[in-house]
Amino acid sequence: MRKGSIAFSLFWLSAGWLILALAGTAFLLTDLYSRALDTNLTNQLKFDIDTLSSAILDSTDPSFGDVSVNDPRFTRASTGWYWIIRNEFGDVLATSRSAVGSLPPALTGNFDADNYRTGILGDEAGNRIRAIERATTSNGRPLRITVTGNLDDSLALVGQFRGQTLTVLSAVGIALAIMSGIVARLALRPIDRLGKAIERVREGESESITGSYPREIAPLAEEVNELLRSNTQILERARNQVGNLAHGLKTPLAVLRNEAAAARDNPLSRVVASESEKMTQLVTTYLDRARIAARSTVVGKKADATMVMLRLVRVMQKLNQNVTIAFKRPDASLPWFRGDEGDLEEMAGNLLDNACKWSKGQIAVTMGAERTESAQMLVIRVEDDGPGLTEEEAQKALRRGVRLDEKTPGSGLGLDIVKELVDVYGGSLQLKRSVLGGLLCELRLPAAKVGLVRN
Amino acid sequence: MRILVVEDDTNLNRQIKDALTEGGYAVDVAFDGEEGHFLGDTEPYDAVVLDIGLPQMDGLSVLEEWRRAGKTMPVLLLTARDRWSDKVQGIDAGADDYVAKPFHMEELLARLRALVRRAAGHASNEITAGPVRLDVKAGKVTVDGQAIKLTSHELRLLSYLMHHKGKVVSRTELTEHLYDQDFDRDSNTIEVFVGRLRKKLPEEVIHTVRGLGYQILED
Repeated sequence: MRKGSIAFSLFWLSAGWLILALAGTAFLLTDLYSRALDTNLTNQLKFDIDTLSSAILDSTDPSFGDVSVNDPRFTRASTGWYWIIRNEFGDVLATSRSAVGSLPPALTGNFDADNYRTGILGDEAGNRIRAIERATTSNGRPLRITVTGNLDDSLALVGQFRGQTLTVLSAVGIALAIMSGIVARLALRPIDRLGKAIERVREGESESITGSYPREIAPLAEEVNELLRSNTQILERARNQVGNLAHGLKTPLAVLRNEAAAARDNPLSRVVASESEKMTQLVTTYLDRARIAARSTVVGKKADATMVMLRLVRVMQKLNQNVTIAFKRPDASLPWFRGDEGDLEEMAGNLLDNACKWSKGQIAVTMGAERTESAQMLVIRVEDDGPGLTEEEAQKALRRGVRLDEKTPGSGLGLDIVKELVDVYGGSLQLKRSVLGGLLCELRLPAAKVGLVRN
Repeated sequence: MRILVVEDDTNLNRQIKDALTEGGYAVDVAFDGEEGHFLGDTEPYDAVVLDIGLPQMDGLSVLEEWRRAGKTMPVLLLTARDRWSDKVQGIDAGADDYVAKPFHMEELLARLRALVRRAAGHASNEITAGPVRLDVKAGKVTVDGQAIKLTSHELRLLSYLMHHKGKVVSRTELTEHLYDQDFDRDSNTIEVFVGRLRKKLPEEVIHTVRGLGYQILED
């Protein structure tokens, strides 16, 4: 869980809240426990006062030598458990045996409605003690009976309790933290799935986000699909406009060109001819560039390369009946092309067209797949028995950085559009010497992931 | 050879018609898809130049209709849409070749000649019959290497017979394929032209098959 992630924030939010809640709980429990202990102690001390009172009533000794409480803690010295009988002036009349030598000071303050007063004192042995005193009369003598209990015993119990509580609650806290971590992960799993679905669209494996998502992120998936759809529509429209522009401009250009060519001697015709030639080149160049610009953002497209090649070979064979195009159909496991079908047609079609132009009668088309360290590539080879290219010519034809806008179109091998498209798709084009004697064009293009269902 | 040109741009239509007429073809023109379809459906053309973007009925539909009806004449598509998908679509609709606008008229003529030749089953630009040699591209005829001068009507007649070498060609067929639809079809004119042509060629090149028509024998 990295910082800045939802899972991270969720985890720390819930963990922070948990720590606060558990610490509060520990504090509260300890407080309640210590109050309970104190109440218990107070009740016991009151009970002891009652016991003493009735013993005093029964006493025949004026110095209360026969008064006692049946609890050994009142007999051992300095236990913090004492009883003291005083007169209304505070003079000690009698004490428990435990109080001998460590007599706690007298309580001060007012008596309540039940004639009790309480307080926390320290005895001479250093014990913290809870003291309760009752004002009473016995046979007409006003007496004050004080009984004390050791608070430190209670405090030790409270400390022990606090330790145990903290241990248990820490364990609970850790368990809850683990749980909340897991819950955060689980809750975020649909987002992971959505991410993978978007990746599949980018990989060209599917055209839209599929699968069902929880209500919270279903709108997001729908929005992404909507975006993909509108993107496709915009591209489609742009392409249509480009096509319309082409049709609109090319017919008048053809007319101008032919009209000028028909009267070559006329100076006006010469101007019209050369200018319409320039316009034709501009139209071609910018149409190609517009197409490429419109297409570089295409996502989620794939094409069955085998079908495209079958189609192109069929067409080129019909158009060029003086050559034989040998095409060995690859087996069905050949991966698809990850990209636009029209683009593949454009690349392979131009290579085939070149081959037909230069061939003396033999053309061979083969297809295959290659695995590089990073990706799977689709390989299309088009070779002919024409004159081919020298090393130098091939390098010139493939020179990088020579783009459509820097170069006069319509010249050379017509590889410009092929190169441009190959660059868009991150593929490669190599020109080699064919075993047939002519040129071998090797086109490498990204393959869509294997295991697709043909649709 | 009779050609149909279907193109909605009037200037371009005129230019193609002029160029083809100059190249020795009889030319009919249509300016929209329906008219083009009707002509191609009812008249026997040796080839058609067909624009794809036509009013009323687009070129591809016209072509598909023709092919469905069993029309086999070669069709040269003319279009501004030169993507490969358009090309594939055109060929699959039944076109035989494809010229992208803007084109050079020479290219259109060359493609058309090749189509007509191919449709008649000739592989090269030259067709020979005995001592007579016809250069389809240049529109020149030689006999034993000597150039002879022919009028455009005579050239059309000889060209058609040589393209269909070995076949008996009726006078009606000749009329239909040598003249455009506006021509006053009087089959007697055919006989006059055949007569003139025979005078310029060695004897026995053009045979008359009585009651059926004319024939140039296979070598």
